[in-house]
Amino acid sequence: MSVMREWLRRLWATFRNAPEDAVMQEELRLHLDMLAADLQRRGVTPEEALRQARRQAGGVAQAMEQRRDQRGLPWLEGLLQDARFGTRMLRRAPVVTAVALLTLTLAIGANTAIFSLVDPLLFRDVPVRDPARLVQFTYQYPRDPPLNNFGLAYYEQVRDGNHVFSDLFGLAALTTESRTGEDPIAAEVVTGNFFQALGVRPALGRVLDVSDDKPGAAAAAVVSWRYWKSRFNGDLRVLGSAIDIKDTRVPAPMHVTVVGVAQREFSGIVVGYRPDVWISLSAVPDAMRSRGGLALAARLKPAVSIDQARAEMRVLYRPTRDALAQRDPQWLRVEIDVTPARTGLSTPLHQQFGGPLLLLMTMVGGVLLLACVNIGSLLLARGAARQQEMAVRVSLGAGRFRIVRQVLTESLLLAAIGGVLGIVGARFGATMLMRIMMSGTRSPGPSPHLDIPLDARVLMFTVVVTVLAALLFGLMPAIAAFVSTPAPALRQSGAAQPRSRRVFGNGLVVAQVAISLALLSVSQLSIAHLRHLRDRSLGFDRHGVLLVSVNTSRAQNRQQLAALYQDIVPRLEAIPGVRAVAASGLTPGALAAASRFLQAEGFDEPVQDRARVSLNWVSPNYFATFGTPLLAGRDFSDADSQEPRRVIVNQALARRYFAGRDPIGRHVWLENERDPYEIIGVAGDAKYQDIRLPAPPIVYVFAPMSRGSTTLSLRADVNPTTVAADARRIVTEVMGADSVRRVTTLAEQVDAAVVPERLMSILGGFFGTVGALLAAIGLYGLLAYTVARQTKEIGIRMALGATRGDVMRMMVRRGLTLVAAGFVVGAPVAFWGTRFAATAIEDLSGGGVPPVATAAVAMLIVAALAAFMPAHRATRVQPVIALRSE
Amino acid sequence: MANQGPAKADVLQGTLDIMILQTLVTLGASHGYAIAARLEQVSSGRVQLNMGTLYPGLMRLEQRGFISGTWGVTDNKRRARFYAITAAGRRQLAVDKREWNRTVTTMQALLSESK
Repeated sequence: MSVMREWLRRLWATFRNAPEDAVMQEELRLHLDMLAADLQRRGVTPEEALRQARRQAGGVAQAMEQRRDQRGLPWLEGLLQDARFGTRMLRRAPVVTAVALLTLTLAIGANTAIFSLVDPLLFRDVPVRDPARLVQFTYQYPRDPPLNNFGLAYYEQVRDGNHVFSDLFGLAALTTESRTGEDPIAAEVVTGNFFQALGVRPALGRVLDVSDDKPGAAAAAVVSWRYWKSRFNGDLRVLGSAIDIKDTRVPAPMHVTVVGVAQREFSGIVVGYRPDVWISLSAVPDAMRSRGGLALAARLKPAVSIDQARAEMRVLYRPTRDALAQRDPQWLRVEIDVTPARTGLSTPLHQQFGGPLLLLMTMVGGVLLLACVNIGSLLLARGAARQQEMAVRVSLGAGRFRIVRQVLTESLLLAAIGGVLGIVGARFGATMLMRIMMSGTRSPGPSPHLDIPLDARVLMFTVVVTVLAALLFGLMPAIAAFVSTPAPALRQSGAAQPRSRRVFGNGLVVAQVAISLALLSVSQLSIAHLRHLRDRSLGFDRHGVLLVSVNTSRAQNRQQLAALYQDIVPRLEAIPGVRAVAASGLTPGALAAASRFLQAEGFDEPVQDRARVSLNWVSPNYFATFGTPLLAGRDFSDADSQEPRRVIVNQALARRYFAGRDPIGRHVWLENERDPYEIIGVAGDAKYQDIRLPAPPIVYVFAPMSRGSTTLSLRADVNPTTVAADARRIVTEVMGADSVRRVTTLAEQVDAAVVPERLMSILGGFFGTVGALLAAIGLYGLLAYTVARQTKEIGIRMALGATRGDVMRMMVRRGLTLVAAGFVVGAPVAFWGTRFAATAIEDLSGGGVPPVATAAVAMLIVAALAAFMPAHRATRVQPVIALRSE
Repeated sequence: MANQGPAKADVLQGTLDIMILQTLVTLGASHGYAIAARLEQVSSGRVQLNMGTLYPGLMRLEQRGFISGTWGVTDNKRRARFYAITAAGRRQLAVDKREWNRTVTTMQALLSESK
């Protein structure tokens, strides 16, 4: 206790400089004078008394030294002194400092930004009781992403029949809509045991409990702390107030009564979705409840392992699955999986961005490493220039460790400034990344939201990264300072440098080239992958198409829909610049899809091989509008409305069901329909729901307008957004004021479907470029330094008859040798990098040699440019001046 | 360099605090020289405190809150810092004394045995 007080006071004194030296000195002098006076009283002469007093009590200077040590914290004072000195040194070399700071800011900022996204998505526990025991359930239908989506009946069956979970609970986000145009309320339906299972307590009122699930229970709701603060201004009267929640799938709004506010830390267990309100199952209309859509999660009983739980769940799931397989044998391949949910329930956000973000995390780690090597070599070169300064200090009695401490303090100072700037940059960066990530979500309802707080975890991460970086790049000049021998450094003006240091400097450039090659290869791979997805393999032309999604629910039957089509399409076609117009139920790259089983004439398959085919409802001109070729037969025409049972199929379907035979004129039957369809044409394969997957077999059914909703697509010769206003006006005139649901372009829709790939491509490209730039700076720095050091040698060579070309070749050769060595070291790393990328990004196209080769060419060009400048300067050396300069 | 303690082993390790505190109890508030003179007198000249030992010691005791220093004027009308023991200091002195007595007893027992 008292010792702690002592240290606090000493810490305080270190910064406050109290008590003053003068005052302390006065006290000591008084002591001496009084001692001397006493001695005089005993009969000693005045001069002798002063001498004796000084011998007995010690010198003032020595005592002052010891008092100062006791007053403050000497080591901290030393550190502050080092820092002040370091600041001076950094200011003295502004260019080096600026380049190093920029590099550090970028590297630390990028690491912080990516980490602040990766952490909540993949690593951070949800703030509930004992999250390590939480598990979630998923199943994966062939070709679909994993789903956590179950019926209420199944939930009840598992809840009552299992022996492995202490709590099993369900939740379902509603697709709410808002009349006012602002973000609609984010509402989540939860089973009554939700809050108890998670250990979430009310901040006010009560949370939901199992009694809220009982038939006839009042529709109760718990609002989030945030919503309570923002919507109710934290008013206690929130309890008992009513909220109306309108889901797009049910006609009438649900009325719920607020019974409580959840505790502040809790914002749901689905990452990227932050509910404003949790409502009880009893609030949901029966029709909707039976539809299911419940995400299930559970808490493992103590001492039950996740494998035991998985085994039991598979047994419990079998009857449900077998029932489904009666109609669709594909279900036999489906197994239920139980996975940990300590970081929250999996969402498409995890599935889409988890891999790319981890890959980016690795890349920015590489950038940081590269930055450290780069700055280290920069400081090392400057350290050589400071050798004399160091030598003087060592000669004057500074200990080697004292000098190493000075150098490391400078590195830490540099890194700390870079770290602070990096955090600021990371805030912008992370927000921007968030916006890119969220730009792909087109599902109705509240937009997802990922909290990216600047919290203790992120700050801790940044501090660790910063200190590691400082140690890494500070170590090189520190070692150089430690082994520096003062005598030779003082004797000469530093023309020659030890061989070991030259080899070390070369090694650093080789390392930079190697890391940069790996970064460039991965970035090249991601850019090529995006280009492949977006341009080469679509099967339709994404440019020049405007998509207007309209609400057709006012047309009651097929005749009215056909009339609507006849009315609207000619008017849209009349817009200047529009070449073709088509209507369809679905458009390529839209997430929605329909599928059914199909039987084809003359094709038998075993039941277990049956698989659904995709379906779309299209008008004439659909293929012309989207730029998908018709390979055989003909397109639909308006005359087909008299004979609607005609279809066009795609190549994939033709291959599967009519291998080697002409499908034109043959018949197919769709599930649940008695009458056959006649095939009139075969279209080229075009990507459909998920553009990453190969085109599925598709049946295009003739239907000018679909009931409920239809998308009108306009192929324009001009930029499609320029016809958007006209199209919107015409649709509004014909179909009423709020019939337009959404206007976008096909290119935007495709872009929205490949957001993870775009993110990887943009950031991968950026970090690859940064890496190449850093390596170029490193190479440039080394060569420029070499030229500066070897001016004399170059002068002698030129005096002896070497031409400018010879000198140029010598310098460029030296640079390119280093690059070549970097390639040898870097190639295996680069190949490993591209393989790692393939595990992180789904269905990665391309890989192997091409990206690494492209990266090597790019690196070579940048390196040649970097080597040219110092080489050029070398040719400008004037032999006479160079020789005189010694 | 720093914190190396007294250069001369003129004070037994750990006894300086007791000596200062006890002196302040006996004398009341005193300045540094008075403390040193008193100790020299009591020890018949065997304890001659170096300033480099005494003043950092006083400072440490003050930082720990066992004594408090105030500026005053000596009999010769010179400005001096007077140190007085605090309540915490008295408690600490009691603890230290107990410790010291126990050590002395132990040492005596040990040394008489090994004779």
